[in-house]
Amino acid sequence: MTQPQTRFDAIVIGGGHNGLSAAITLARKGKSVCVVERSLHLGGMMAPEYGLVHTLYNLRPTVMRSLGLQLDLRTLPTVSLCPDGDHVVIEGSRARMSDGSPHPKATEFAKLHRRLVRFAGLLETIALNTPPKLSGGLTDTETLGEMIRLGRLGLGIKALGKTEMQEFLRVLLTNVHDLVVDELGDGPLAGSLSADAVRGGFAGPYAPGTVFTLLYRLGAGGNVGVPRAGMAAVARAFEDAAARAGCSIKCGSAVTRILVDGDDQATGVELADGSVLEARAVLSSAGPAHTVALAGPEHFDIEATRRVRSIRAKGTAAKVNFQLKGLPSFAGLPDELRGGRLLIAPTSAGVERAFNPVKYGEVSEDLTLEMVLPQINAPEDDQNLSAIAGFVPLEHAAGWTDEAREALGALVQRRIEAFAPGFASLVQSREVFTPADIEARTRAPGGHWHHGEMGLDQILTVRPTNGMAHYSMGVQGLYLCGAAAHPGGDISGLPGRNSALQALKDGAV
Amino acid sequence: MGNHDTFDAIIAGSGHNGLTTACYLARAGLKVLVVEKNDWIGGAAVSRSLHDGWTYSNCSYVCSLLRREIVRDLELPRFGLQVIPFEGGATFTPDGDYFAYYSDHDALHREIARHSPRDVDAYDRFSQAVMRQCRFIRPFLLRTAPDPTSLKPRDIGELLYLVKKANDLGAKELGETLRFWTMSIADFLDEYFEHPLIKAHIAGSGIIGTGLGVYSPGTAYVLLHHYMGDVDGAIGAWGFARGGMGAITQALAASFEEAGGTIVRGSGVEQFVTSNGRVTGVALENGDTYSATTVASNMDVKRTFLEHTDRSTLPGDFVTAVERFKTRGSSGKLNISLDAMPEFPAAPEGARFLSGDMHCSTTLAELERAYDDWKDGRWSSAPYFDMLIPSQIDPTMAPPGKHMMTVFVQYAPYDLNIDGNRSADNWDETQRKAFADTVFDKMESAIPDIRKHIVHAEIRSPAELEREVGLTEGNIFQGELTFDQLLFNRPVPGYAQYRTPIRGLYLVGSSAHPGGGVMGAPGANAAREILRDLGKGKAMPDHVDEEARP
Repeated sequence: MTQPQTRFDAIVIGGGHNGLSAAITLARKGKSVCVVERSLHLGGMMAPEYGLVHTLYNLRPTVMRSLGLQLDLRTLPTVSLCPDGDHVVIEGSRARMSDGSPHPKATEFAKLHRRLVRFAGLLETIALNTPPKLSGGLTDTETLGEMIRLGRLGLGIKALGKTEMQEFLRVLLTNVHDLVVDELGDGPLAGSLSADAVRGGFAGPYAPGTVFTLLYRLGAGGNVGVPRAGMAAVARAFEDAAARAGCSIKCGSAVTRILVDGDDQATGVELADGSVLEARAVLSSAGPAHTVALAGPEHFDIEATRRVRSIRAKGTAAKVNFQLKGLPSFAGLPDELRGGRLLIAPTSAGVERAFNPVKYGEVSEDLTLEMVLPQINAPEDDQNLSAIAGFVPLEHAAGWTDEAREALGALVQRRIEAFAPGFASLVQSREVFTPADIEARTRAPGGHWHHGEMGLDQILTVRPTNGMAHYSMGVQGLYLCGAAAHPGGDISGLPGRNSALQALKDGAV
Repeated sequence: MGNHDTFDAIIAGSGHNGLTTACYLARAGLKVLVVEKNDWIGGAAVSRSLHDGWTYSNCSYVCSLLRREIVRDLELPRFGLQVIPFEGGATFTPDGDYFAYYSDHDALHREIARHSPRDVDAYDRFSQAVMRQCRFIRPFLLRTAPDPTSLKPRDIGELLYLVKKANDLGAKELGETLRFWTMSIADFLDEYFEHPLIKAHIAGSGIIGTGLGVYSPGTAYVLLHHYMGDVDGAIGAWGFARGGMGAITQALAASFEEAGGTIVRGSGVEQFVTSNGRVTGVALENGDTYSATTVASNMDVKRTFLEHTDRSTLPGDFVTAVERFKTRGSSGKLNISLDAMPEFPAAPEGARFLSGDMHCSTTLAELERAYDDWKDGRWSSAPYFDMLIPSQIDPTMAPPGKHMMTVFVQYAPYDLNIDGNRSADNWDETQRKAFADTVFDKMESAIPDIRKHIVHAEIRSPAELEREVGLTEGNIFQGELTFDQLLFNRPVPGYAQYRTPIRGLYLVGSSAHPGGGVMGAPGANAAREILRDLGKGKAMPDHVDEEARP
């Protein structure tokens, strides 16, 4: 019997998709990597065991190629439901009514959508790289590469032409509500863009910064897809890619400590069973605060710990899974369209109203929902409906008791029933995950989708916080590789990949 | 037959910015006319006698932001402007306590410690952070915003100046600056303070006049409007213009008239007259017409172009952009004549802070809920208000022994929602009275007998502000101060340098960079651009970067 390996080039804490992306990136460069995962399965927030993730929209082909992910995706149309039955179907930049008639604002929508996708494309060069450092000044050779990238972004913006460039600079930091309502008027079409912009975040569409979160979402082109083999295939694809790349995987092992020597250099991790894994590089996909706690706050200056403590991460999306004994029908919606991504966000103003109560630990009656019927091709009596509900507070004013959780499930069910009469009679059981439940299961900070609010004050060179934007946390060899790092959340693999590339560039691995 | 005179330049509107531009142009030797639609001058910086013996600063009510360079250039003190600083302020709690703010450092420390010892240290870190941001921003106020799409040497030069200033901050401070400019006031305060009352007291400054809530990104920097001003060089101090805010515009007008300028009252501009894309003069409501090849509008951008310019002479994209420019009315105002100094049971005998700004909102959540009400088109059921009794230190405002009180109320909508119908016409006497009652009900927690001291009250909703002063939707800043409407985006991209699609027609009010507040900066910056276009750039006094001085 051979002794299990305990020395690696790098250790990755957490087997979520970003942890795996980091590990795969390093392993494909020939490094020995061990992924340590607390739970018994890989996948983190996307693990099929939780059923939290039901679509993909931010996973770029370039990233899939560079990680060796094999996924066969199909695109879902979006259906934005309207209480009076005038549902809107959106496919890429095309919008039409669900009865086949043209949408009165189809031209405006096409123009707006194409423009937003173009703007989102400009930000790609930033998303695919470590954010530019602000130190060093303009003449420093170390920052030269960054300056060239920024210059390229500048040229990209210039290439838009004067009018589009002005529009880009005007809307980039503004609020999504004004942008979409100015162009489209308020209704299900505007509602769909506003709801997409704020899903998972602690912001309503009136809040400045929500155009940026919409652009972030459109970074991969804006299409929403699911694997033909079902969402479980996503975690499997990452797992397979990690295995093919030669990563060691240890599930069921919680890291209790990140080991740091007297020179503030990471040396490995200590596991719950007392064993030690050694490596000069530790990449953590845990939240920043958790990572600091694992390494010991004494290795960070007081300002850094204060900043980490202030990172805003309050999840606002709940997940409700319904087991159904039949397929629901939505009033006025042709049945062949119910296989799409179904939104309940009839107006942009309504999305803002749904956000109001969450600020006070309450839940709106008029929740915003994103729903899919993932087993639509399975037998009629074995169906489920997967719903992401916004906005739901992390901390319920009355506490997240079983009753409060039940009430939330019932509320979501009523909301769906209003659009799909008879839905309740199909429900066999339902499962509710509040942001607090999501945090408890996945350890995502605040149960937040992005591990940290994607506010303008927590993105790019200040993500997750000022002074930590380059994946390095201050301790040598310790990197942040989760969604709290640049560019942010969603199933994108980018923070993990970028973090690994930065560690390689720094010579830490 | 009306008047038909010719001038070198005409200014439409006698607000503080219009008069500032007028003064600089007149001092440069131009023959300048100011036309004002009201029978009085001053725009939103006025002192009005609406009740016998009392004077109301019935729009803007306190002074600090007016740029000292302008005060000096235009010799406003010689023309009677005197600013009296006031001390501190307070927030009263429903249970009979208060948090007092003092400009005296030690007194403030003792007061903070009384509520939360840990917040004493936090306050020092907080005020250092805010002061650093003030120092960063101040030099930009009296500069024209660069156009990032332009390759003109001047724009590139200005951009480089910005880059240099940013670079001088260093990486860490630049990161903090980026965060500060994009954060919400609530999040910013949460990073420093633990006591809700202290946070609530400071947070009000982040929302005054804006259609945003304390949790909205971009409100932290609005705080700078509270801290970047000065009274006679005392940075961050606030004061009353002696005789009311009208003293500022009266001094400007006197300075203007001494320089040879003319002011015509009682008839506003009906139309900016143009010919072949060039302005040729103005036609007034009373039929008078005046000619000039330089015309400056002190009106906001919507009013200027959507109501008083022939739209067919404007590019379609420009009109759309102006239509979409956000001027959301969000504030109301009560101006009150009191028969005596009312009693504040919570305040100790002789409390100095009673002469400052006083509030009754005690938590951030309460402030945010006030915003939620407004979004629905209703006034806040528990509004934030900023109340002051200036007659305590400026006896000219009320008869002896009597007092004048000014109460700025956030939030009040322009298009009031009554049963789903949102319209400014809904603001009738009954609604105005109900609005005031909401304010007084809350005020009674600090001043239980306030109602019995009221001799007269003027109740102003955004609708009155629009009607009387001409501010579209009653927006006190002539346009929201959001990222999409600041710097090179203010008021619309491509026209952020005071010039407009019509040659010779300029915007000089707060719709232009750097925006609202009784600051005078848009007026002064516009004057510089106008003089440059006229080949008289040298006639504009140099405003050196005072921050750069050793």
